[in-house]
Amino acid sequence: MAALLEIKDLVTAFHTSKGRLPAVDGVSLSIERGQTLGLVGESGCGKSVTAMSTLRLVASPGRIESGSILFTTEGESIDLVSASEKQLRNVRGGRIGMIFQEPMTSLNPVFTIGDQIAEVVQLHRRVTRSEARTRALEMLHLVRVADPEQRLDAYPHQLSGGMRQRVMIAIALACEPDLIIADEPTTALDVTIQAQILDLLGDLRSRLGTAVLLITHDLGVVAETCDSVAVMYAGKIVEQASAAELFRHPLHPYTIGLLQSRPDIDNRDSGPLATIPGMVPPPQDFPSGCRFHPRCSYATVPQCSSEAPLLREVIPGHFVRCHFAEEINL
Amino acid sequence: MSDQQPQNTPALLQVKDLETHFPIRKGLLRRQVGAVKAVDGVTFNIPRGTTLGLVGESGCGKTTVGRSLLRLVEPTGGDVLFDNHAVRKENSRGLRSLRRRMQVVFQDPYGSLNPRMKIRSILEEGLILHRVGERAARLEEMKQALERTGLSASVLERYPHEFSGGQRQRIAIARALVLKPEFLVLDEPVSALDVSIQAQVINLLKELKQELGLTYLFISHDLSVVEYLADNIAVMYLGQIVESADVDKLCHQPLHPYTHALFSAVPSVEVKKRRQRIVLKGDVPSPSQPPRGCRFHPRCPLSETVCCEVEPPQIDLAGHRVHCHIVSREVERCGADAAAVSEAMQVAITAAISDSTSPHSDV
Repeated sequence: MAALLEIKDLVTAFHTSKGRLPAVDGVSLSIERGQTLGLVGESGCGKSVTAMSTLRLVASPGRIESGSILFTTEGESIDLVSASEKQLRNVRGGRIGMIFQEPMTSLNPVFTIGDQIAEVVQLHRRVTRSEARTRALEMLHLVRVADPEQRLDAYPHQLSGGMRQRVMIAIALACEPDLIIADEPTTALDVTIQAQILDLLGDLRSRLGTAVLLITHDLGVVAETCDSVAVMYAGKIVEQASAAELFRHPLHPYTIGLLQSRPDIDNRDSGPLATIPGMVPPPQDFPSGCRFHPRCSYATVPQCSSEAPLLREVIPGHFVRCHFAEEINL
Repeated sequence: MSDQQPQNTPALLQVKDLETHFPIRKGLLRRQVGAVKAVDGVTFNIPRGTTLGLVGESGCGKTTVGRSLLRLVEPTGGDVLFDNHAVRKENSRGLRSLRRRMQVVFQDPYGSLNPRMKIRSILEEGLILHRVGERAARLEEMKQALERTGLSASVLERYPHEFSGGQRQRIAIARALVLKPEFLVLDEPVSALDVSIQAQVINLLKELKQELGLTYLFISHDLSVVEYLADNIAVMYLGQIVESADVDKLCHQPLHPYTHALFSAVPSVEVKKRRQRIVLKGDVPSPSQPPRGCRFHPRCPLSETVCCEVEPPQIDLAGHRVHCHIVSREVERCGADAAAVSEAMQVAITAAISDSTSPHSDV
């Protein structure tokens, strides 16, 4: 059977006064039913644009220039890149749910949360108002909001950050989607609330069989929740493997750098933290050859600055975009 | 001053029963109807040359503690002694001379640098205010401070928007350093930065501390950063410190149930370091109406009747201080051995959690 979501060679670029900025430059990903894929990277690497492209939510001057996004559900495949607006409306909120980072700005402040959950249900199902409201109540129960009956008539500002994120999850799940795209769902939350939300997402995933595309900069969150991981840098995927494999055995110098630069009680006395020098280049200044080479300690040969490495399967199931992947593997 | 008592030097900063309440006013006459008890009886010391990490979730009052120390907000009670000067009793003149020695770096490097000022003016402002030297001498000071933070003098004529987040935070640190302070309040200085940049700034802070002998109050919600940088850690919850100890004791032998939950909630890359996650119920209550008794009791997996009614006592196990009824009982049972008590607490919490998450409850 085909994968639930298959992104192939996606290119999304922004056309600005600075020229064409390829924020996403040839990304391929696939997510199986019920699977959680983590897409990690620092700000500006293109991970959010990848997510927005999947639902065709990239606003002008951004444009999907090439590639395909095949979404297969109930034996039927559609290419979201070429789908009509009508087909997309069906998918958005219906077959694919979305959770954004900032629950305060993604909820409408002038509607009650009950109305906002019911709205999605009414858009995608043939139900009456009161049936939609019952469904909203069920959803609040499901995401473990305390006193759901009262909360139904509450406005977003009356809820805490964790509660609002639960409401976002309720909206995303209301129509029992096959896939949820969660863009930094816990970044704005405290650790104990983050633990609640991750716990909830994991539980819902195992009970409803929903696949999740989790976008985050937090490697710890990925390690604890995802089946597989893709690491993005400067618009490209630089490493991809199962979560267990990637964290045990990172092969791309960037991934290695990210993992080593995490502060930890055990490395506090062993000299300064390993750092990655410099910073993430903006799309107008992507370096030639390997985009990571100016910051890379392995980049010692001219090949790194002249020839763009390909994403290669170095170990079965473990893909790396680096000329030196074999040497690092040793 | 410190050479008078080489054996028992008083800490550079001593904070006792610090209270900062914000009034809640209502009605036409703006009568006070209550108070947000942001900081409600906080006591700690920071010895010279050490770092105290203050951790807690948003709304626990950690930022208000930092600001109260510098009197950027006026505390409503308690004492703050900085190098034996009572900060709360100083008049504006005395306060100014103290503030030269205590500086602050804020979380958001986008919000804390005035976008309409050149870096030169941003750095020079403090020097002018404190009447430091002539123009040329000030320039020299600024260059030195920039160099220490890994920036070149060429940034002086540029504006904040020309810099990335990591560079801006370096500028904010340079601004704090230019007056040659002894004590820095670092309020979430790396939280807004990306992982690879965060490591650069953490290294810088550590280097500066060693080279200049600085003393830090490091405020953060990120436990891994605090563990890495701090010598001592204090855990805050709803305006109070619930547990404090040196970093090894606190991380390896946590006592308070909240500390257990906090550490277990940090996602880890390494499988062996992953603890069983203790998921707390509910949110942090409002500091305007803190719960009676132990403030943590509504969310605590171990809470009992006594926790709901009586404020917990402070227990001191060789410098490891904690406020908790259950810990106090465990100490009576297992003796004053923090390792054994920590173990017992972990067992009790795990048991309580697995009871409450059995299939028929909740959801």
